[in-house]
Amino acid sequence: MRTVWMAFVLSALAAGQSKDAAYEPLQKAYEQSRARQYDAAIANFERAAALAPKRAAIHKDLAYTLLKTGDTEAARDHFGEAMRLDASDFHVALEYAFLCYETRQRAEARRLFERIRDRGDVGSRATAARTFQSIDSALAEGIARWRRAVELSPNNFSAHQELARLAEERDDAKLAAAHYEAAWRLRPDLSELLLDVGRVWKALGRNEEAAAALLAASRGSQPRIAERAKALIPSRYPYVYEFRKALEIDPKNVELRRELAYLLLEMGKKDEAEQEFRGIVDAAPGDLLSTAQLGFLKLARKDLPGATPLLNRVLEQGDDELADRVRVALKLPQSLKSRKDAAPDSRGTEAKALADKSLKAGYMKDALKYLTVAHEADPMDFAVMLKLGHAYNQLKQDREAIKWFSLARKSSDPSISSEADHAWHNLRPAFAPFRTTVWMFPFYSSRWKDVFSYAQVKTEIKVGNLPLRPYLTTRFIGDTRQALDSSQLIVAPQYLSESSFIVGAGIATRTWRGVTGWFEAGEAIKYLGSRKDVGAMIPDYRGGLSYARGFGHLLAPSSHGLFAETNADGIYVSRFNRDMLLYSQNRAGYTLRSAENTGFHAQLYWNWNATLDRKGEYWANYIETGPGVKFRFQPLPPSVVFSVNAVRGNYLVREGNPRGPVFYDLRAGFWYAFTH
Amino acid sequence: MRSLIKTVLFAIVPVAATGATFSYHVVGEDKGAWPAILTSVGLTESPTGIASVFVVRGASPLSAAQWLERAGQGAFVVLEGDSPVARELGFVPSQTRVVVRGVEDVRTPKLEIVWEKAVELPVYTVPDGAKVFVRERWAKAPLMAGLRKGPGGVLWLAVSPGPQGHERFPYLIQALGDLGFEAPFRSAQLWAFFDGSYRSRADLDYLAERWRKAGIGTLHVAAWHYYDSTPEGDAYLKRLIEACHKQAILVYAWLELPHVSEKFWSDHPEWREKTALLQDAELDWRKLINLTNRDAFRTVAAGVKGLLGRFDWDGVNLAELYFESLEGYLNPARFTPMNPDTRAEFKAKQGYDPLELFDPNSPRHPSKDASGMRALLEYRADLARRWQTEWIGEMEAVRRGRPDMDLVLTHVDDRFDTRMRDLIGADAGRVLPLLAQHDFTFLIEDPATIWNLGPQRYPKIASAYDPLTPRKDKMAIDINIVERYQDVYPTKQQTGTELFQLVHLSSGAFPRVALYFENSILKDDLAFLPAAASTVTRLEQTGTKLAIDSKRGMGVPWTGPAKVDGRPWPVRDDKTVWVPAGPHAIEPAAKDGVARMLDFNGTLESAGTTAKGFEFAYRSSSRALAKLDRAPRTLEIDGSQQQPVFFDSTLVLPRGQHIVSLTF
Repeated sequence: MRTVWMAFVLSALAAGQSKDAAYEPLQKAYEQSRARQYDAAIANFERAAALAPKRAAIHKDLAYTLLKTGDTEAARDHFGEAMRLDASDFHVALEYAFLCYETRQRAEARRLFERIRDRGDVGSRATAARTFQSIDSALAEGIARWRRAVELSPNNFSAHQELARLAEERDDAKLAAAHYEAAWRLRPDLSELLLDVGRVWKALGRNEEAAAALLAASRGSQPRIAERAKALIPSRYPYVYEFRKALEIDPKNVELRRELAYLLLEMGKKDEAEQEFRGIVDAAPGDLLSTAQLGFLKLARKDLPGATPLLNRVLEQGDDELADRVRVALKLPQSLKSRKDAAPDSRGTEAKALADKSLKAGYMKDALKYLTVAHEADPMDFAVMLKLGHAYNQLKQDREAIKWFSLARKSSDPSISSEADHAWHNLRPAFAPFRTTVWMFPFYSSRWKDVFSYAQVKTEIKVGNLPLRPYLTTRFIGDTRQALDSSQLIVAPQYLSESSFIVGAGIATRTWRGVTGWFEAGEAIKYLGSRKDVGAMIPDYRGGLSYARGFGHLLAPSSHGLFAETNADGIYVSRFNRDMLLYSQNRAGYTLRSAENTGFHAQLYWNWNATLDRKGEYWANYIETGPGVKFRFQPLPPSVVFSVNAVRGNYLVREGNPRGPVFYDLRAGFWYAFTH
Repeated sequence: MRSLIKTVLFAIVPVAATGATFSYHVVGEDKGAWPAILTSVGLTESPTGIASVFVVRGASPLSAAQWLERAGQGAFVVLEGDSPVARELGFVPSQTRVVVRGVEDVRTPKLEIVWEKAVELPVYTVPDGAKVFVRERWAKAPLMAGLRKGPGGVLWLAVSPGPQGHERFPYLIQALGDLGFEAPFRSAQLWAFFDGSYRSRADLDYLAERWRKAGIGTLHVAAWHYYDSTPEGDAYLKRLIEACHKQAILVYAWLELPHVSEKFWSDHPEWREKTALLQDAELDWRKLINLTNRDAFRTVAAGVKGLLGRFDWDGVNLAELYFESLEGYLNPARFTPMNPDTRAEFKAKQGYDPLELFDPNSPRHPSKDASGMRALLEYRADLARRWQTEWIGEMEAVRRGRPDMDLVLTHVDDRFDTRMRDLIGADAGRVLPLLAQHDFTFLIEDPATIWNLGPQRYPKIASAYDPLTPRKDKMAIDINIVERYQDVYPTKQQTGTELFQLVHLSSGAFPRVALYFENSILKDDLAFLPAAASTVTRLEQTGTKLAIDSKRGMGVPWTGPAKVDGRPWPVRDDKTVWVPAGPHAIEPAAKDGVARMLDFNGTLESAGTTAKGFEFAYRSSSRALAKLDRAPRTLEIDGSQQQPVFFDSTLVLPRGQHIVSLTF
């Protein structure tokens, strides 16, 4: 061995003088190999082999180094390569043959020993002959023993399989074929046997049958075997006659027959397709997909008596999705899937999964894309329709959203239909000619020791596609305490609210990116007879811009995580001395998980509020900050939201302020709104 | 404020004295299979987001630039599927789509990886400089790729790794390794089976070093190849044992009785076992001998004693001492034992030849009368137990002369898969009580029939044996890493994440884990095996101090002198500190003591440096081997002075529980 290395090093050195690209890695490899740094040596041998791929000696020395590391299979492959590059090196051929035997490539090993025995050099012939004899006689003994076992126990699957394996190792393809076939007949569920059958048929020259067996295996129910078979068949799509031949071999292969049926359907051969679907349904009555398809075909050719029992069976036994398809198809028959080398269900499933992720992550445009794919894959998936509605809704494309909610309302799944119905009802007012909204916000203020209440009833009128909506409105602004106790004040009683109903008419713009413009004109009618600071009815004009946006995980079902909200209102109010006020209310915090039992769902947050006005009134210029909690209960309508806020405020204007610059206030109340 | 929160939440663990990665964080609520994947190599979850491996499944709290910045600081960022961050980094889906079923891992392109459920995905483009790790088999569309960034990197997957974590990308952990990821902890207590019959030309020192690096502490060597003494065979085995001992690996004689040896089979056709078809029982590779025959038994017992006496074994493993086959009586061509002695014994008890039970025309055939076959199966299970008792007795006789030798009984599980008793005569319920009278380890082999079940089966198997014996410390599990006959996915043989999950869960459930077999473990798995076998239950890092708790003791990546629980610690090599089971605090020390123990294959109980050397307590069911950084001047075991015995530079210590004190 050492001599061989030296010789090769010398030759490599000589080659190096003529700029041998492999010289440098080879030199390193030999040095490292001598230093028992085998892993590094292997890497350099591999580099050298890549640079000089035709040099058998590199593969040979690489193989010997691999043997040092115990990597017998890799060593075998490199001896094999060295043998192919230099067929006259029978020593390498013997090494390869032995390693084939040791790594379970025994048929190849036996053939190699036989070849070397017959055609090798003098030194290798005797070894090869002895080894061939040893292998062959052991195989012969094994074959005899398992033949006897098969005779004694003819239905013994594993005996047939063992006998076939030994026969194949001994290159007795005929015997191997007979017993692989017998094993296949006993265990047709093992599509791996089809690969074995196909392989030995090919060895026997039965190429067409072999191709048919492999085609059947490639469409079998076991993905691993299908993948192996796919590597052995032509990459082109099979012809109908090839499908038919494969079915002759594997008549119970439902996947294969179904694919043929869909191929025929796509080719317009409906009669033949129907015949195949009939075959599937007869053999596998549980195959409801084929049952439904057969029903559709019969329906399409007006064979209602033939189609009805089939479709009824699907309606009774099929899952909701399939049953829904049948319901649709009872009006419009359609093919369930196209014949492509794709798993149509998986496409839709994957798209749905990606859509869910996108929805969860807030990537609404991506969600829309995936949902569209999912809808195309399965146009009758109501869950997808519902999600499309939500996606469009979140993208503020409510005109599209309402269409999808409307479709999803037709789902047979009550959870989908009720959710869709609810969403549809929420959106519908926006597109109705009249829309009445009622909201109220009563709350208690610890600072004023008073309960305030704000409320409005508003009926909007939709005028074509105009961006403006006129409306009629009645507001209520009042409180229970009515006025600060005058005995504590030097001045006249101070009223804490407007104590009025304000009836009027107004006009509002459509909301654009959270901004709405509005203006109202009306009369404020006081309900406190004792109040003397204003008349019983006074004109009231108010209007301005309103902005509201939420970010992150808002207080919505199943939402939890960080959130932020902002509301800004710039309002002109004639009653306040034609003042212009600006309110900014901001909250940021965390939406907690909804409790499963009680349905309690809360947000913890921090407030930052500011109020300013144009005229510099002390009561209209202050800032507030402090913690707050907002919560709701599942059994109550979703628009009932409770809130408690504790704020510390600072007045920004001292002039005319009878109170201190700092105030504290605890406010607790609830919001309720609905639209019809 | 928000960026401050991000900085705090997605910070990287400061690395103390090592480049290893200790914890992970999955961003978002749905963690998928990532905890199962990442804990399988010893990572612990960091709920705060202060970690070294981040998995981003949905919305990302950080931008691509921010993630890259963290990778540059040593973080590993895993991105799943299509997302704005992935797109920003250059992993962009095209309009073309591909149905993925067969995939190719570029590190092992010949390995057949098939997804059980095909998935249609977009064909992605990957950024320049990215290394594609996995691609679709036919269209070569990239499915997993990585970008290195300084000491860290970004790993992108086109789709989730699957519900259990191993369904789609077996070599996900190895891909992280290619990006620079190092597993946090090590165990060096694994057992492995070894058959040297086809590796006679391997460099045994090289193999032994590789095994030790892979966490193997004991090698069970196929001893039947050396039953008949030959100069070449004996020399090879002696070299193998020496090479192992030098690396602190114990070597056990693995016996597969009633297979004795090829030569014994050839020399004694009269003692060959028979199947129910009365053929010689040459089943697969095993050639079975009729050990019911007393002459055969005596001859084989003498031969085994000779085999054990000729070599410096540390233990013996009586494996699979029962009958064939997994097809039970339904396959008479494989049913044993039907030798004349057994049949005569059964006939003496029942009054008829058991062969009648296999004759379809006989009234005793089970299709007509089940009682006869039931009697035979009961007799067979009883016979297996008699054999096992008899051979344990023989081994104990050997042990009287070699008290340091360990004894292992490898026995197929029949509690989880209850059919084993009838199929092959294995009955753990009858064997386990023997632990009360005999000192041996009961190594449970999971039967081939359940090799397709997931890693969670090991804790279940462990709990099934709890009621059978109080000696839980003597229980071990044998994981068969071989091509499974079932229709399994994604690989026929366990490798990558699936293997790590198997090893990790079984290491948590059993005190000892054996792998069958050393050569079937694929090369790419070796680096992460010690991490998979580690059993850390708690980890806290405060500054340079590491507080850890483990079930069975382990190695912690560490460079430089260390203190453990405040004491200068002598058990460490240049990369690892070895600590016993339980909670411990490790911190840097100013300097080492006068000597160190670099490696130890017993169970370490405690240790500490002394003025002139160090001392430690241990227990071991066989001899224990300790590698020292220098030769000791004196050795004291349990208070009495002893003459040190060495294999090369490896100190040999006695079996049992001892306190050792060394001066230098």
